[in-house]
Amino acid sequence: MDAFIRFTNQTQGRDRLFRATQYTCMLLRYLLEANADKEKVVMKLKKLESSVSTGRKWFRLGNVIHAVQSTEQSIHVTDPVPRLCLTLANLNRVVYYICDTILWVRSVGLASGINKEKWQMWANRHYYYFLLLSLARDLYEIALQMGRVSRNKAKRKTSSSQSPRGYSVVDEDTEWLQSFLLLLFQSLKQHPPLLLDTVKNCCDILIPLNQMGVYRSNPGVIGLGGLLSSVAGIITVAYPQMKLKTR
Amino acid sequence: MDAWVRFSAQSQARERLCRAAQYACSLLGHALQRHGASPELQKQIRQLESHLSLGRKLLRLGNSADALESAKRAVHLSDVVLRFCITVSHLNRALYFACDNVLWAGKSGLAPRVDQEKWAQRSFRYYLFSLIMNLSRDAYEIRLLMEQESSASSRRMKASSGGGVPGGTEPGVSGAPGGGLPQLALKLRLRVLLLARVLRGHPPLLLDVVRNACDLFIPLDKLGLWRCGPGVVGLCGLVSSILSILTLVCPWLRLKP
Repeated sequence: MDAFIRFTNQTQGRDRLFRATQYTCMLLRYLLEANADKEKVVMKLKKLESSVSTGRKWFRLGNVIHAVQSTEQSIHVTDPVPRLCLTLANLNRVVYYICDTILWVRSVGLASGINKEKWQMWANRHYYYFLLLSLARDLYEIALQMGRVSRNKAKRKTSSSQSPRGYSVVDEDTEWLQSFLLLLFQSLKQHPPLLLDTVKNCCDILIPLNQMGVYRSNPGVIGLGGLLSSVAGIITVAYPQMKLKTR
Repeated sequence: MDAWVRFSAQSQARERLCRAAQYACSLLGHALQRHGASPELQKQIRQLESHLSLGRKLLRLGNSADALESAKRAVHLSDVVLRFCITVSHLNRALYFACDNVLWAGKSGLAPRVDQEKWAQRSFRYYLFSLIMNLSRDAYEIRLLMEQESSASSRRMKASSGGGVPGGTEPGVSGAPGGGLPQLALKLRLRVLLLARVLRGHPPLLLDVVRNACDLFIPLDKLGLWRCGPGVVGLCGLVSSILSILTLVCPWLRLKP
């Protein structure tokens, strides 16, 4: 219970738990909707989802400053490609939070003259750019990691002086794909924070893609994606060593 | 900027900020009503206040576990009175949060058959008991400190004057019955001065007393025991929220058992 309390004392921890709840409700609603006699349960899930989603806005208020600070930190990253990707990603995150705050102002009724659809579209777009740039950074890090792993493997091969296996030209393509996938799997296995971050961004990107109409998927897929990314987020909050660090 | 990031990373800090905003809205709404502001503005303020209240209920989900854990820790205190007061206070707080969770379930539509009024009254009752326990603990700590202070100062007096003149805080018992009232007034004045000195020397205790005293008006008003009006409730709530934000920003100001 002590660990649970330490986890929930952090705003991000609580927010990730509520996010997981929100997307679980979405997933369950999709799975139970087909069932006619589960109408009441589906209604309750919808109410829980909407109240948690509304309540989570309170966790996001003031995150503009967090994003500005992250932007400042990412300017000092040593590697140029992650520096560019992260700085642009965080700038998009700042704009996203500004749009989100304006939408919040409208939702509590403080300013009724705000065009909700326009600001929602802007928020979705900038969230999408943020995720795209984060994924670009992840792919770059994966490529680096794969290069490192393959160089280590080559070093071990030359030192153990294995005789190369003979293979035909026909098998070369599938052999290449297999070895590429194996290398990818090994690189990610050796670098769990990178795996978690990639999974989180891949799952998250489905949400703005769906809302912008670029790639419409059903609520079940969105719910599952949201749940997976929330669980990945919970792991990074509970175990800070699993957070992808910038050099 | 760094300070805000560190402060807002604690979920309790965000909840306190929302509480301060909620009571500020309540105070503002009351002031606007008194000065005849437009009904639309009043409606906006009331709407914001209700959003804040519901949002805070969501932010507080899971606080029962925290209160139970604090009660578990308080059971191991050495002083019997402190152990009793703090444990019972935390237990009442846990029950208050549990009732609050039920109210959230009712308001968000998960359990529509919940009797909002009954559960609200129940939650305020537990909150009142918890505050009474907190104030009892504060009173006990003040009494201990006052005794310590008065015995220390009488020792100093005895040491400085060679034991001839009686101590400054305890006036001589040689007063005749006829001069009882002025002597009582003097005793009272000295007691008050001692209390002021003790509280000035222990800021965490002073903060805790003021906070609990301000908080006390809220359940007293909501339960109908002492109707002070929305203005007083708003002001007291705002002051106690600001003081608890202060204890979060400066952890040395928090009263440790």
